[in-house]
Amino acid sequence: MSEISLLQSALLLGLYVALAGSYGLVYTIARLQDALILHRMACILYGLHGLTAIAIVAWTPLQIGWKGLIVASSAAFLAIPPITWRFLQRTHENEVRG
Amino acid sequence: MYRSQQLAVKYLAAAIALFGIMTVAGLMSAYYYINPDFLFGILHFNIAKILHIDTMVIWLLMGFMGAIYWFLPEEFGRELVGIRLAEILFYVFFGAVAVVAVVFIVVQYGNSNETALWFINQGRKYVEAPRWAAIGVVVVMAVFAYNVIGTAYVTRRVTGITAVLMIDLVPLLVLYLDAFPAISNMSADLFWWWWLVHLWVEATWEVLIGCIMAWTLMQLLGTSRRIVELWLYIEVALVLGTGILGLGHHYFWIGAPSYWLTIGGLFSALEPLPLLGMVVHAVYDAGTHHMKTTNRPAFYWLLAEAFGNFLGGGVWGFMITLPQVNLYAHGTQWTVSHGHFAFWGAYACGVLSVIYLVVQKLRGLDHLGGTLWKWSFAALNLGLVGMVGALLVSGFAQAFVERAIGGSTHDAFIAGQTNPWFVEGMVTRFIFGLLFAAGYVALVWDLLTIGRRAPVLAAAGAAE
Repeated sequence: MSEISLLQSALLLGLYVALAGSYGLVYTIARLQDALILHRMACILYGLHGLTAIAIVAWTPLQIGWKGLIVASSAAFLAIPPITWRFLQRTHENEVRG
Repeated sequence: MYRSQQLAVKYLAAAIALFGIMTVAGLMSAYYYINPDFLFGILHFNIAKILHIDTMVIWLLMGFMGAIYWFLPEEFGRELVGIRLAEILFYVFFGAVAVVAVVFIVVQYGNSNETALWFINQGRKYVEAPRWAAIGVVVVMAVFAYNVIGTAYVTRRVTGITAVLMIDLVPLLVLYLDAFPAISNMSADLFWWWWLVHLWVEATWEVLIGCIMAWTLMQLLGTSRRIVELWLYIEVALVLGTGILGLGHHYFWIGAPSYWLTIGGLFSALEPLPLLGMVVHAVYDAGTHHMKTTNRPAFYWLLAEAFGNFLGGGVWGFMITLPQVNLYAHGTQWTVSHGHFAFWGAYACGVLSVIYLVVQKLRGLDHLGGTLWKWSFAALNLGLVGMVGALLVSGFAQAFVERAIGGSTHDAFIAGQTNPWFVEGMVTRFIFGLLFAAGYVALVWDLLTIGRRAPVLAAAGAAE
């Protein structure tokens, strides 16, 4: 790995997780406030996360296995906020009913 | 108030005092990078660094113990079994910490023999305390475990949170025994030493803070026990599932078999996933309560914990966790940056949240708010973020100049240490360290005086 690709790879990896977190945060706020613009913003943030994943796959010298893990993690990052949201809502509703 | 809650207050006060010593030792350690002649021949950098790191471990541990001693009697509905012994051991523990600190500062060095190992310094990073003190820690933790498990046995009442806590106390105690061996093979020594350091921090401590946060959520937001226990099980399973084998990222370059590159990289890369779930959970809880609470400082420190954990552990950790990047980044200020952010987010913010909760109960205030906590909150968090940002820049310079270009030779090390980006990063870290220290002073002042300002705060809190 060259000195430039070291910094590029590390920064892209950090950005990759930061955008996933931003997507999760905005997604949750959007669901809480039921605001269309926030839903769109969450989609944009996940899109940027996806682009970062593509950049990691295309431009970094990481081994193929790690690139596969990045792609799989992106799928997981997409699913975690809605699944967590649904689960939280269900447990709270059950609590109110119970 | 139960006697164990009075003991909790002592532990939390001791934790805050040690937090201050950690901050001073950290500022000194930061200043050595700017002026290497500082206290030359009197107190060397390595002693300041030992004090900084060891007090960090002890203040957080005391914070956890204080929090658990506070919540447990309410959980069991009675005084803890063996509380008298626990009260005595608090003074023994605090006295031992003071003696060890004095020995570090005054004696500093010993010879490479058993006497030095028993009475001066074990020479093992993060667990430098001499062997007699390490045995003392084991005794304190054993009594702590007895308080918890003994009370559960007597009351025949085990809740989900106390069950998780009791299970966690076993590895917490057993793993600390790893502090003792003096194995002459460095690879073998590091292999087991990481079991203590990593598995305490990324496994048993995560479970402890999970239990503490579960109780905090119940008291702070009135979240039902069923919900917090369900989430405790899920989050503990996910954190342990990724965190235990994430241990492998410490085995990359210590002479362990190469399969650890794959195991460590894989499980470490999965660690941000449960952290994202925690962020969603925190925002959900905050949103459904419309950010309304009777204790705003505790609430904001709780939120800071969720975000700090994600940023420090998730984002900062992910940058350096894959072996190809870690080859260049390990052991630089880059990892120091990650360590500061992750410890702050995962543990310190949680302990501070509990302390504000305890202060509210102690002073009998309906609402806790005001202005000073905001200054302290802002200065501590901005100071911390500034420090980790500056350390990150210095770490980039080291990885770039010393490792990637220079190939880790001695000349490359000097080139890295004198690189302008590295030097300016160190200066900036010190400046933000001063801001952090100012935040600490504001925090202590707020905690000390908040009762006296009670009528004003109650009104302000109600208005909020």
